[in-house]
Amino acid sequence: MMSTTPMTQLFAVVLAKDQERVTETLLREGVMQFVSVLDMDLEKPEKLSAVASDVSLADFSDLRKRVEGILHTIGVIPSAPQEADLKNRASVNLGGESGRLDKLDAERQGVRERQRAIQKEILKLEDIKRQIGLYGLGLSGVRLDARHSILAVQTGQLPASNVRGLDEALKGLPALHMALGQEGDRVHHLLISMKRDREQIGGILAGVGWTNVEVSGELLSAEANLLDELSGKLQALNAEQKTLQDQATDIVRKEEPHLRELWVKLRVGELCSRIQANFKSSSRTVVFAGWLPASKKQRLIDRITEAGAGRCYVEWHEAGSDEDVPVQFNNPKILAPFQMLVRNFGVPRYGTIDPTPVVMPMYLIMFGLMFADVGQGLVLAALGVLGVRRLKGNETKKGLYNLSWLVIWCGGSAILFGVLLGSYFGMSLFKPLWFDFHGIVSGHSNSNSVINDISDVLAITVYFGISVIALGLIFNWINIIRTKRWMELVFDKGGILGGWIYGGGIYIASYMIAHEFKEFPSGGALLLLVGLPSILLLIKEPYHYFKHERGRSDRKPNPAMLTLDCLMKWIVELLEIYSGYLSNTLSFMRVAGLGIAHACLMISFFTLADMTSGVFSIVILVLGNILVIGLEGLSAGIQALRLNYYEFFTKFFHGTGKLHTPISLSSQL
Amino acid sequence: MAGPLSKYALINAKLRARISKILPDEVFGQLAKAPSLEAALALLRESPFAGLEQIYAATGDLKLAELELLKSEIELYRSIREYLHPASRQLVDALLAQFEIENLKNAIRIYFDRKVRKRAVDSNSHYVLYDPIIHTLSIDLILNAESFDEIAGVCDGTPYAQIVRKYSHTVEAEGSLFRMEVGFDHYYYSHLVEAIDLLDRRDRAVAVRLIGVEIDLQNISWIIRFKNFYDLPLEAILATIIPGGFHLNRAVIDELYQAQNVTSVLQGFVAGRYPGLSTLLSAETSSSTARLMLIQRILDEIRKHEVQRILAGYPFSIGIILSYFVLKRDELQKIRMLLNAKQYGRQQERIESML
Repeated sequence: MMSTTPMTQLFAVVLAKDQERVTETLLREGVMQFVSVLDMDLEKPEKLSAVASDVSLADFSDLRKRVEGILHTIGVIPSAPQEADLKNRASVNLGGESGRLDKLDAERQGVRERQRAIQKEILKLEDIKRQIGLYGLGLSGVRLDARHSILAVQTGQLPASNVRGLDEALKGLPALHMALGQEGDRVHHLLISMKRDREQIGGILAGVGWTNVEVSGELLSAEANLLDELSGKLQALNAEQKTLQDQATDIVRKEEPHLRELWVKLRVGELCSRIQANFKSSSRTVVFAGWLPASKKQRLIDRITEAGAGRCYVEWHEAGSDEDVPVQFNNPKILAPFQMLVRNFGVPRYGTIDPTPVVMPMYLIMFGLMFADVGQGLVLAALGVLGVRRLKGNETKKGLYNLSWLVIWCGGSAILFGVLLGSYFGMSLFKPLWFDFHGIVSGHSNSNSVINDISDVLAITVYFGISVIALGLIFNWINIIRTKRWMELVFDKGGILGGWIYGGGIYIASYMIAHEFKEFPSGGALLLLVGLPSILLLIKEPYHYFKHERGRSDRKPNPAMLTLDCLMKWIVELLEIYSGYLSNTLSFMRVAGLGIAHACLMISFFTLADMTSGVFSIVILVLGNILVIGLEGLSAGIQALRLNYYEFFTKFFHGTGKLHTPISLSSQL
Repeated sequence: MAGPLSKYALINAKLRARISKILPDEVFGQLAKAPSLEAALALLRESPFAGLEQIYAATGDLKLAELELLKSEIELYRSIREYLHPASRQLVDALLAQFEIENLKNAIRIYFDRKVRKRAVDSNSHYVLYDPIIHTLSIDLILNAESFDEIAGVCDGTPYAQIVRKYSHTVEAEGSLFRMEVGFDHYYYSHLVEAIDLLDRRDRAVAVRLIGVEIDLQNISWIIRFKNFYDLPLEAILATIIPGGFHLNRAVIDELYQAQNVTSVLQGFVAGRYPGLSTLLSAETSSSTARLMLIQRILDEIRKHEVQRILAGYPFSIGIILSYFVLKRDELQKIRMLLNAKQYGRQQERIESML
């Protein structure tokens, strides 16, 4: 905790014949982040080349993605391989499997083709239905001027034996025909088509022996029948479409067990290939190197030795404060939601302070002060619990899962501060344990606490802010001392001189407040508190020039310009320090501001509810609470995050680290 | 008179939030790598385009899914229009006309294929929009018309009737819809420029620049196509040029037309105005198709450059709305292109080169 996990670097040489077993061991342990052996400053065998493999990483990767793509279409997201899968690792016939997938794709494509054909038919009938809906058929009264209709309606007779031929010939055309009756071997039909197709239709009808006949009176009801038939046909086609849709899914479902199994095999093969891509081989040996947590060192060496039957050579290199050393967070699981907040800002550089354990209490205190209410806190916590229950075990939604836990923590904090400040859904059901926040905001506090008015509340947040900034400075000094950057320790804005000025400023402000802004500390005290460190800061630029820049430039610098430059930089730096620390500290007053806004909103809703009665009053209170939970909850969460990021983290946290990403069975590649 | 803050504060915040939701390049990279159309659609499951997969799974018809995309794009313009100050709405209405014009062009193409070219009407008629976009136009009647006079009659009361009447004889004589379609495009852009003229000074300057660049790009693209693929004379090309461009003057048009190697002329155009993009032009291309694709890419980059300029600048102007439309159109075009490429089994490298 408070510092990133200590890392160590392994350099190993194993026999080429042991490389498969060693690869599996490395994957099983899943702790190594590989680095290129060629980039290491070590004595290495002279001719090193990439490890040859029968199946390339790309082959494994492409086929795995293909299987994954097919599984995704039925909503299956395969889970990471287990140790047993690695143990029972079997070779995959990539060509054979690829062929099997081709077959599956072709089968599914066949279904899609049929779906497309049916869809065409559906669209055609819908076109006709739409036209009938717009203009009618002209059989039972015309709704619009017939010239607007684009449908051609005709009745006629044809030999019964030609009906199938008519069916076939009309396929692909937006046309519909319906049998009306039969006379001997000739059937009466009603045919609806588009006027635009009259030439084509004319040819088809001539081919099937169609003869036009007059519309008889009994056909006047044909329009209703036709619409029924049309709807029936559409229904049948849609049902068929649904069957085909299921069929397409079933094709994949049928193969699902095999595809899942294949995916796991391919994934294992891909991960092994990925590990071996980091190997370099000489004639009989294989060399590799990488970073791992120091705590895993012994276990890994035992496993490698076991895999290589003792035939291996290893070297360990301890990590310095190099920026290239990967970083692994070292926090208990309970801090995962807060680690997510830190991670969102950046990864701490190796060997520097990881602020996660401090962010937890600070974030929760800020949130609680801004959103102090037992009832609303309970609602937040309940929402968080719902989220956790819904998202538990879902690896793809890990971020949302952690966020749900954060909501639970925030709810807990709101409950605790609600008890301390006496707010229960905006009501004062019980005496506050600390002070009556709602009473202070509404201007009638009867508490005998030391906190009696708004300025006291503001003062609490300013004290809190000073503590946070001071802690940030201390963390910065620790980080600088660890990396032995001594000049930075003294002259940095967040260094000792910066801290000295900040401390001095706080003393001066407190002194003035204590003397009701009528008196300054003595001149000597002012000089000692802020004057001296400010003057000492003047050394920084000349020191920097003589240490780093002198002699670099070909041109001889002008001493007057150099002095002016140093003076300007000094003034700017002083302005930055004074205005920066002042604004950083006052920024914490937003905590009180949000808390006051929260109380004011609740007071407003109670006033509105008092203006009505009965159900309306309850509705106003319920809606008011929902609004406050949504709006204020979000604001408090964002502001607490903002204060951590910009007032606290900026004092010490660089976020330039790179996360440790070992290749393991659960790697996200 | 409303100030820029009251006109654009809400829509600016809203659109910036929406811009952050536009699919990032890595998603398009994943789509390009998807092994099949079905896998690509599955990748969109967690995005606002999840509906495409449902439509495809239910019908097997990608064109229907594309039609839904088009409808959603139109809806996007309409929804944003609701949040705008009346002074800016006219511009969005003018932009919305592009969809109506494209739809009308599609309907006339179907008519033309059937009536003039005597081709069978295929299923394309199912993929045009029948609901009104701005004007009430009976697309059914256009699809089934017997003559251009009939189509003009259907378009009566809209600005399109005059265009149809004006070009119908030329189209019939030439056996090509080209002149009429250019006429529609001219109307669209002139109407757009008129709408820009109604904006206040600051908005006008922003819109003239972005729409002007769009017009430039359209003109460049036409000059190259008309010369290389239709072999039109300079006068004919000049007649098609849309006025209102931002950079393109007669001298550049002449130069583009005369040039053996269009990319070298473009190099001069780009180097002067967008020096950051000249590296793109240094790429060697052999075939005319590859050259055309390269030119298209350069033009897209120019458009992107203008959009980025607007997004990084003063936030309370019409620029944010126009930029959003451009970004959204790019996103939808990429999705359409990727899905079609998957449908037709294009190679991954080819698809990636088109992104």
